[in-house]
Amino acid sequence: MTTTAAEATGAKTTAVRFEQVSKAYGAVRAVDGLTLDLHPGETVALLGPNGAGKSSTLDLLLGLRTADSGTVRVFGTTPQNAVAAGRVGAMLQTGGLMEDVTVKELVGLACALHPRPHPVVEVLSRAGIGRIADRMVNKLSGGQEQRVRFALATAGANDLIVLDEPTTGMDVTARQAFWATMREQADQGRTVLFATHYLEEADAIADRVLVLHKGRLLADGTAAEIKAKAGARRISFELAGPVDEAALRGLPFLAAIDITGNRVRIQSHDADATVHAVYGLGLHPRALEVAGLGLEQAFVAITEAEEARTAC
Amino acid sequence: MLSLFSWALIRLEVTRTLRNKKFMFFSVIYPSVIYLLISSTQNTSDRIPHTDLTFQAFFMVSMASFGALTAVLMGNSERIAKEREKGWVRQLRLTALPSRGYVLAKIASAAVVTLPCIVVVFLVAAAVKHVRVETWQWFALAGVIWAGSLVFAALGVAIGYLAGGDAVRPLTMIIYFGLSVLGGLWMPSATFPQWLQNIAEWLPTHAYASLGQAIEMGGSPHAKDVAILCAYFLIFAGGAAWLYRKDTLKA
Repeated sequence: MTTTAAEATGAKTTAVRFEQVSKAYGAVRAVDGLTLDLHPGETVALLGPNGAGKSSTLDLLLGLRTADSGTVRVFGTTPQNAVAAGRVGAMLQTGGLMEDVTVKELVGLACALHPRPHPVVEVLSRAGIGRIADRMVNKLSGGQEQRVRFALATAGANDLIVLDEPTTGMDVTARQAFWATMREQADQGRTVLFATHYLEEADAIADRVLVLHKGRLLADGTAAEIKAKAGARRISFELAGPVDEAALRGLPFLAAIDITGNRVRIQSHDADATVHAVYGLGLHPRALEVAGLGLEQAFVAITEAEEARTAC
Repeated sequence: MLSLFSWALIRLEVTRTLRNKKFMFFSVIYPSVIYLLISSTQNTSDRIPHTDLTFQAFFMVSMASFGALTAVLMGNSERIAKEREKGWVRQLRLTALPSRGYVLAKIASAAVVTLPCIVVVFLVAAAVKHVRVETWQWFALAGVIWAGSLVFAALGVAIGYLAGGDAVRPLTMIIYFGLSVLGGLWMPSATFPQWLQNIAEWLPTHAYASLGQAIEMGGSPHAKDVAILCAYFLIFAGGAAWLYRKDTLKA
């Protein structure tokens, strides 16, 4: 009885659960013992270099492929059942569109195929394609096609929306408009999972960032936590007098130091302590700046560290 | 039980097939042209051995069947292989549509093409070659040839899933000509050597052609032929639905 009760609560509180999931294509392990939970209402970014297993992970989550081992659960059931129940909407990079039909007909089909559909007009206008509703699908630009895919993914009341590189091919304005509508979806309590190459999108939009590398989860936390995990902050300043290089290199918590003329650039594991030590040397730094690493630099640092570790 | 979901897709598939004017035109005209060519090799009054059926009437039915078969087999397999490559099928698999709904929609859109095919062959045969049968026979012939073509529409869907890209056309061609010739759509299978007749008897195309011939000779289709076609339909449609679910081809 206790187990069933726990399972029932588990099903309620988790949108997606991966338990020790592995998937290999021949000798290549695309997903390697992946374990993770996504909770309802979260907006989660999935990051990783090419070949990290992002698309494979999404395929497993959507039931387009079956795991070699481990279990994938979506709202406490199999991905196929969750999809058939209309709980999952997805926008795939590899998802093509039906040809010889108009945008409106295609979106109408997606609405008709959804167990809990939204009105077609509403879906069209939310995706920003109300004005091209009568155009043939095969006559659209790349950005317009992306919006149609978005409309297909949001044709009904889904609880989970999965987006694979959704803003590819969109210009900056379209990208902003896209994320604005996506945030509305998240505000309505939907779980949003997106894979992206644009790290600033992950930084700005996601509550939580997952970093995948060679099919394994390298980091899982808020964007700020991921940056902290990369372990460094940048310190830079100028010195008025002569530069004592040896003393500077002896500063505590240094990750890297670069001295060019009288300009000093430092990466430190503990910026506060390092700056304190600079003053302790009796130096009077000018134009002192302390900044965190960007998510992009943090991401590179984390994946490079992992590369170095696995290479040994 | 066919859900409402499936109907939505069937409606749209039929609409877009009708919209594809070039495909419609050639599919509808092609069997009539072949009929005129092949029936010109025989005199109007010559009869098939052991029957009182003229070659003209025989070819009318076999070419209507052949034309319907061409349209559904070629049309379906290539279009489906293309849709898979473009990733549309992947997108569709993320909807609540059951796999049988997809297969039925494809069969239905093929059926829209075959009916005009059949009617045009009949009109040409009656007008140019003076083929005459009873009124009930015209309707019965159109009905069974149309219904029988659904078996091959299902086969077309299955082939579209078996092969991708460049392989789909040759594979379709081999199956298409193999079945047409061996099934006796080009030549009455009564002219085959006995061992080949024994094989041909169990082919779906043979059963298909026999349906029409039985009606032409004033009878009703043999239960065995109907049973063979039903069995093939279940195998092809079931196989296609299974392949749709299993498909992992990416764009």
